[in-house]
Amino acid sequence: MAISLLLSLTVCIAQTNNKKSESLKIYGNCAMCEKTIEKAGNLNNEATVDWNKDTKMAIISYDSLATSKEDILKRIALAGYDSDIFFAPDDTYANLPECCQYERAKKDAHNMESHDMKMVNDHSQHGAMSQDSQDKNALSSVFENYFTLKDALVKTDRPLASTSAEGLLKSVKEVQMNKLPMDVHMVWMKVIENLNEDLAGMVATKDVGKQRDYFMSLSKNMYEVMKVSKSQTPVYYQFCPMANGGKGANWLSRDEVIKNPYYGAQMLSCGNTVETIN
Amino acid sequence: MIGHKKCWTVLMVILSIHFGYGQNVVRYELTVTDTIVNFSGKEKRAIAVNGQIPMPTLTFTEGDIAEIVVHNKLKEGTSLHWHGVYLPNKEDGVPFLTQMPIATNTTHTYSFPIIQNGTHWYHSHSGLQEQIGMYGSLILKKKESDPTFRKGIDDLPAVPIILSEWTDIKPENVHRMLHNANDWGGIKKGTVQSYSEAIKAGHFKTKLENEWKRMLAMDVSDVYYDKFLVNGKEESQLPQFRAGEKVRLRISNGGASSYFWLTYAGGKITVVANDGNDVVPVEVDRLIIGVSETYDVVVNIPQEDTAYELLATPEDRTKSASIYLGNGTIQLKSRMPKLKYFEGMKMMNGMMNMDGTMDDMGMDMSLQKMDMNTVMYPEITGSTDMKMDDKMDHANHSMKTEQDLVTLNYGMLKAPHPTTLPKDAPVRELRFELTGNMNRYVWSMDNKVLSETDKILIKKGENVRITLYNGSMMRHPMHLHGHDFRVINGQGEFAPLKNVLDIMPMETDTIEFLANVEGDWFFHCHILYHMMAGMNRVFSYEEQAPNPYLPNKEWAYKKLQKESNEFHFMAENDFATNGNDGMAMLQNTRWSIGTEWRLGYHDGHGYESETHIGRYIGKNQWFMPFVGFDWRYRKSEGSVEKNIFGQGNTKDTRAVASLGAEYTLPMLVTLQGEIFTDGNIRFQLMREDIPISPRLRWAFMVNTDKEYMTGFKYIVTRNLGISTHYDSDMGLGFGATLNY
Repeated sequence: MAISLLLSLTVCIAQTNNKKSESLKIYGNCAMCEKTIEKAGNLNNEATVDWNKDTKMAIISYDSLATSKEDILKRIALAGYDSDIFFAPDDTYANLPECCQYERAKKDAHNMESHDMKMVNDHSQHGAMSQDSQDKNALSSVFENYFTLKDALVKTDRPLASTSAEGLLKSVKEVQMNKLPMDVHMVWMKVIENLNEDLAGMVATKDVGKQRDYFMSLSKNMYEVMKVSKSQTPVYYQFCPMANGGKGANWLSRDEVIKNPYYGAQMLSCGNTVETIN
Repeated sequence: MIGHKKCWTVLMVILSIHFGYGQNVVRYELTVTDTIVNFSGKEKRAIAVNGQIPMPTLTFTEGDIAEIVVHNKLKEGTSLHWHGVYLPNKEDGVPFLTQMPIATNTTHTYSFPIIQNGTHWYHSHSGLQEQIGMYGSLILKKKESDPTFRKGIDDLPAVPIILSEWTDIKPENVHRMLHNANDWGGIKKGTVQSYSEAIKAGHFKTKLENEWKRMLAMDVSDVYYDKFLVNGKEESQLPQFRAGEKVRLRISNGGASSYFWLTYAGGKITVVANDGNDVVPVEVDRLIIGVSETYDVVVNIPQEDTAYELLATPEDRTKSASIYLGNGTIQLKSRMPKLKYFEGMKMMNGMMNMDGTMDDMGMDMSLQKMDMNTVMYPEITGSTDMKMDDKMDHANHSMKTEQDLVTLNYGMLKAPHPTTLPKDAPVRELRFELTGNMNRYVWSMDNKVLSETDKILIKKGENVRITLYNGSMMRHPMHLHGHDFRVINGQGEFAPLKNVLDIMPMETDTIEFLANVEGDWFFHCHILYHMMAGMNRVFSYEEQAPNPYLPNKEWAYKKLQKESNEFHFMAENDFATNGNDGMAMLQNTRWSIGTEWRLGYHDGHGYESETHIGRYIGKNQWFMPFVGFDWRYRKSEGSVEKNIFGQGNTKDTRAVASLGAEYTLPMLVTLQGEIFTDGNIRFQLMREDIPISPRLRWAFMVNTDKEYMTGFKYIVTRNLGISTHYDSDMGLGFGATLNY
């Protein structure tokens, strides 16, 4: 009896020595948030966090010699949750599950504003461009859709690539050949069959690797067309020697910076511009 | 955070300004002392200048005359090199090349006119002193009347930032361990890339192919560090900045071997200068700053009551350091996700030929534009959890990868003014291949270390054009003393000026400079441990005037050569129940003197030792011919053992010399063939460090004397392992392995 009393006493002393407890606000929403917050904050023998989703208050207990309130809140913020000392990184917050998208502690006014502006900008630009180019070039929507398809492959986004391929197929079919200048017409006649074939194949397959195979020959034909039809903005004909099992493959891009559609993120920057079409 | 225990040196920076001849003499007094620091929870030796780490920031204005008085209170020699500064050769601060080391308890004064502006830094060029505190910012301000003064940039509030790292292990020991392929650092970093980890990641074949091609696990950096530091602290704040303000950060990388990623929580980073030279402002999301490079960047403080984190992450992403700009709640920047090492290994396998050369597959790689390491970056290529392609669609929805991140590369740097060299000057063309060998930590140029080459003679007035190809598996920040060079990067006459060129594996870059200041100038890899391994050259001007600080240059050059080709010692002994098993080795770039022993506890088990003195041949150092000496004593009643060739041998008392060779086979197995003076022949296959799991190693040996051994070792600490092995001579044993 005496021994156990003594023992519990020493335990008490050891614990009270440098143990601190505080109640702090941490922004969050739901039970899922609670799990993430506590997991991020807890550390063996150093800190425990108990967060209440209704009050948004957390009781943090920690060994003040081993760690600090700031360390704990920093870990929680890095997991996506704001407090009065730290704001979570924006991308981490954005990647939280939807149910956890709590109302943030910080004013996001300037972010929102610039975002809106950008949206509006994009929109107007888009509209203007399509209007404009329809008159100028009967193939503009073909090119437009080609670049969308290329971007989908850059992102290795198979569903988007499929729908873009469908879109491209549609616009290829809609081209009014009689409106094309003579030289463009000639090339178009030569490649149209292959374009249709590759695109049909691309729409049919569920394998992004196969889509890329079709894209190789598609890009070659597209290059032939673009070379004669010209473009008001420069288009870059780019080449990656690693693609196609080391045989290399080409693609077209509006951007001089290399974004390789054959590897997705794996080898995003592999390649160089071999020709600029103006 | 830093507890400088003894600051018995009075902190004095006497800054006296004399007005004479219309030029300011700006004078600093620097006192170099031993100190004890505590960065990691342990007290360790470091070197402080005027009682502080980093060394004090020195500020001058273009047109000043710098006078820096150095008092050396260390028990060893020291020196200070003014990195990136144009100056007379004798002020350059390289011991045994431009001056003698500043001896203990003496004073040396550096004095030179400041004829440029920009962000630079200074550091010790003696041994490994830079690693333990001898680095500091050196700011050369532009005059307001300067025609190149940029309103909105050069008049912004500016803060010097110096990045560095700290290791609790003495740097001499770090260096020694690197040469002995000690993988303690890998264990601490979690980058051993063992078979068990490979299997878990679905990369067993990748690991197998990697070892088949005789590569050890690769990392993006060599050394394990306990802390990373911004201005000497892991975390600090500059609360003086308010919302709407722009701040210019003058960032130098004073780390001994760490590249740092720089990212900022308050938006884009605008790069305005590099290596002390203005560049046309370019906006990026992130940049990597090579060892010893400097970048000037401008960042915004977007909102009131918020401080924004500038995050410096070492390339291996093991840890990070931060400085917060502004006052209020701290807006954090997300941490860079862990590297996917096996993806990197897979890529390396694809590029590595069986003969140890690399194949760039016809890609013209240069100027950091095609960063092969990208395959390892989850923020670009998606999270590791998503393994297969069919899961990628899903990955794209839940994890937003940031493919549109703008990362700075050298192609984006453009000088604001033409930087062309004189057109009529003669052109001197030089080409170097950067070569290296991770297994033995040999770093060289054209497979020659400094001690194997003479100074390279150049003439004053020539344009020196250097083409560099990096044929090694690591990136190297190549630094030229006393000159800025143009980096031929597609910007035509606006090619940027730099004094450090980071060159990634398989890249080819061209640099050029006008040879306009005579002297002996160092050209070397600025990763401290690569420099000390011999990855250096000296450009020496023909017919230069003698250097008053260095009367005997020939003798001094020999000293310099010797410094970067030292012998490194290692030793290991397994104290096991069935005997002692051990080895000791002394090795430098080419030579290896090693002895192995097996000592039983009684005469029946016997005692034996084998000593080899050999020389590594070739770039990959897979081949080592040697001469040897074997000695053995055992008491086994005269029974004769026969080897598989039918040659007899009592093995009881034997003292023979031998001639042999070692060759590293695929899978990193060593094949050893030896012929002894008694006519006996022996072949042996052995490998001792097969990484089964992060801490578990498997060893085996088999030879034509019908001897064999197999064993396991579990690595407990840097110097201790628990082991078990079965030996054909001595049977099964358990024990503890101590290694140094």
